[in-house]
Amino acid sequence: MNILINGKKFFSETDLTISEFLKKNNISENNIVVEINKEIITKNLWEKYKLNNNDKVEIITAVGGG
Amino acid sequence: MGFLINNKIYNSRLIIGSGKYKDFKQTQEALKASDAEMITVAIKRTNIGQNTNQKSLLDYINPNNYKILPNTAGCFSAEDAVRVSMLARELLNDNLIKLEVLADKNTLLPNEKETLIAAKELVGLGFSVMVYTTDNVLLANELETIGCAAIMPLASPIGTGQGIINKANIKKIIKNAKIPIIIDAGIGTASDATIAMEMGCDAVLLNSAIAMSKNPILMAKAMKHAVIAGRYAYEAKRMKLSSIAIPSSNKKNALS
Repeated sequence: MNILINGKKFFSETDLTISEFLKKNNISENNIVVEINKEIITKNLWEKYKLNNNDKVEIITAVGGG
Repeated sequence: MGFLINNKIYNSRLIIGSGKYKDFKQTQEALKASDAEMITVAIKRTNIGQNTNQKSLLDYINPNNYKILPNTAGCFSAEDAVRVSMLARELLNDNLIKLEVLADKNTLLPNEKETLIAAKELVGLGFSVMVYTTDNVLLANELETIGCAAIMPLASPIGTGQGIINKANIKKIIKNAKIPIIIDAGIGTASDATIAMEMGCDAVLLNSAIAMSKNPILMAKAMKHAVIAGRYAYEAKRMKLSSIAIPSSNKKNALS
């Protein structure tokens, strides 16, 4: 399965839920929003939501800005 | 008495940005020194592969103590700005947004047409829109008419520190408005912030003026006092200008 996460290509041989992906990549679940194919996936769905081949995933947070 | 945004009164009339600081600790210290109650953040991609223990900006700025104002920085179309606003609302569980749609990467000036389109859509979606705009008097009026929460005209282009370039337009925008007018972008030093406040702006939003100074914590303090001084002067109503000199002491009982 090929997925694009924050513009970078990722490959996984097995199915992955959003929670599994975050854990695997050491991304804290706090203070982030997940958007898949331009649709926001609310946090309560992360444990069950499986990523699909060719998904475009954005993991968003607050950073410094004016 | 402060100014009102989305049914909340802010006593500090200084809003600061969280960009360009050396680290999050310095951001936190500058925020404290400025006495600001509202701080802007940008909504961007997270770093993948970072350590889970690595802290994020929101670990340093407690949303319970400060109003976090997310912006749509980096957006050049209404569509992108609405998308980022939705992400911000999900992240912060709040409908307040600083709408910023830029025209190009060189001037960083607002794209007036796209800003208006995005503002209309966001107001319709229930957002409380604080809109970054040019000093275009008619556009400011239109943005107020469609239901924005605050109009935020630039003093001068982002990051230039040139102060208020077009005072005449800013004065007209203030005169026409019934909602808060907040000068955003282009403030270079304390006197620029004071001038904005003396003119009758409701607040000042700045970032680089503090973060890019040699001593950001001290400049944050300077900005705090500059904004207070400017507001007091506005409320006190300044003396009339005179083309001739007038002595300060009474002529009566002079020695000669």
